[in-house]
Amino acid sequence: MPRHPTVRLSALVAVVAVLVSACGSESDDAGSTASTGPTAVTVGVIPIVDVAPIYLGIKQGFFSAEGLNVSLQTAQGGAAIVPAVMSGQYQFGFSNATSLLLADSKGLPLKVVSSGVASTGEPGKDFGAVIVKADSPIKSAADLAGKRVAVNTLKNINTTTVNEVVRQAGGDPATISYVELPFPDIVSAVAKGDVDAGQVVEPFLTIATGQGDRQVVSNYAGTDPNLTIGMYFTSKEYAAKNPKVVAGFTAAMNKSMEYATAHPDEARAILSTYTKIDATVQQNLVLPKWPTTVDRDSVQLLTDLGTKDGLFSKQPDLDGLLP
Amino acid sequence: MIRDLPRRVLTALGLPAVLVAVWWVSSAHSTSFFWPPLSTIVRAFPQTWTADPLLHDVLPSLARLTAGYLAALAAGVTAGLAIGSSRTVRALCEPALEFFRAIPPPVLIPVIALFTGYTAWTAKVVTIALGCLWPILLNTVEGVRSMDEVLRDTARSYRLGRAATLTMVLRGASPRIVTGARQALSIGVILMVISELFGANRGLGAAIVQFQRGFAIPQMWTGIILLGLLGVTLSVLFRLVEHRTMAWYRGVRQAERGA
Repeated sequence: MPRHPTVRLSALVAVVAVLVSACGSESDDAGSTASTGPTAVTVGVIPIVDVAPIYLGIKQGFFSAEGLNVSLQTAQGGAAIVPAVMSGQYQFGFSNATSLLLADSKGLPLKVVSSGVASTGEPGKDFGAVIVKADSPIKSAADLAGKRVAVNTLKNINTTTVNEVVRQAGGDPATISYVELPFPDIVSAVAKGDVDAGQVVEPFLTIATGQGDRQVVSNYAGTDPNLTIGMYFTSKEYAAKNPKVVAGFTAAMNKSMEYATAHPDEARAILSTYTKIDATVQQNLVLPKWPTTVDRDSVQLLTDLGTKDGLFSKQPDLDGLLP
Repeated sequence: MIRDLPRRVLTALGLPAVLVAVWWVSSAHSTSFFWPPLSTIVRAFPQTWTADPLLHDVLPSLARLTAGYLAALAAGVTAGLAIGSSRTVRALCEPALEFFRAIPPPVLIPVIALFTGYTAWTAKVVTIALGCLWPILLNTVEGVRSMDEVLRDTARSYRLGRAATLTMVLRGASPRIVTGARQALSIGVILMVISELFGANRGLGAAIVQFQRGFAIPQMWTGIILLGLLGVTLSVLFRLVEHRTMAWYRGVRQAERGA
């Protein structure tokens, strides 16, 4: 009998230890300024066309010229990348603008370090659009009202921009019922008639139109011809502690995006190193724009649209977030 | 038994109380965004789970779970009795059963969606049912198989009717069926959540993911806690049902132990 209290106590201690260690220290700035040699940084990206420049830039040596040894980690989406950047697991990350605004509005201290990807500004020739079956009665954005529309993420950039183009066309976006599906499944859900329409980006847009689907509206270009869609970011803490690394990353990123813009064929070619894209699709897909500056007005517009759709409980602080 | 009740309640709540206290204290001054103080989470709870989400997220999820689970129970027990009763059928089916059991239902979700539709309830109910089926089916087969041969022979020689034989086999296999049903319940809860990660806009699982995506971290935690509480409730309900239906078995066990 005298043994029992000890056993109980040690079990309790073990439980406490596990819990405390689980919620303890949140960041140890891995990869911050070392003494000599290149600085190792990890960047969280999504394996889509948008991030082709960073792959090209690494290959062209733009990052090593800035003293950075970049390794890329692919993740499902911005929601997974943001926590990893916050915890110091990644030093930089790529995410869409609305996710960053959402994070900012919830009080996550993030800092955009470079532009990422933008709309081509040409309706019908943008890298994202709403598709329907060829024989669908939906002919214009206004017809989307009251329909079932698939998006890859609910309550995010794709719903706010589709809502906006429907609103502009005179439809009531509140009547749209959105369904969340991964991009590849959106194409087959539209084909099966499970949903009336779907918002997709490249390469799925080219795949869908190749199967006979029709574009109804370019939701990015229709929202704003200069719409900033994705950006690279870091945590405010990392930015404050490592200004040199951040400056080097921004410079290399800008060079990469300029290079990708000037060499679209190389940008297409590099896609097959990190995605499984069919060769003809790779040749035919619409490349996005890779501007080196963030179009502040368009980010403000995304903020206003998100506010209209009730995404933000608190207004995002653009001055603190944008470079 | 009745006198024991307060003690049993205290024992059951002891560890949870300690864990909650530890969580509360250790997170009290947390500044980590993803690990908010428990007090913040508790305060967010009533604001998050108001009538609307309870009605449109939690209830549909539970309804899908119930439908899938009951379908699996009916199919699993029926097929299990058929397979378990015949040595030949069992030998024929075993490799196929093991094959299907080894495939985790989450990987089948997109495939199920292709056949049953991406957004309808059917895909989710089928996913839950497919996951719950295997433990019930395989345990039923085992239960039937492990029945006393003498009992079977006796039933045969007394020329018991089909109905009587079936009742006897069901009773004999029921301890194993209950074991399978209990395993299936927890699998069902998991699949209820997973099935909503794909092609859903409402539901408990979908809501938790939306909170996470929207960086509504305290709300996300409330969803996880709610899920856990549901799990506890379901297992208590299961025990109540088991207690009533298996009273005879407890009697047999006690008699065997000489109590």
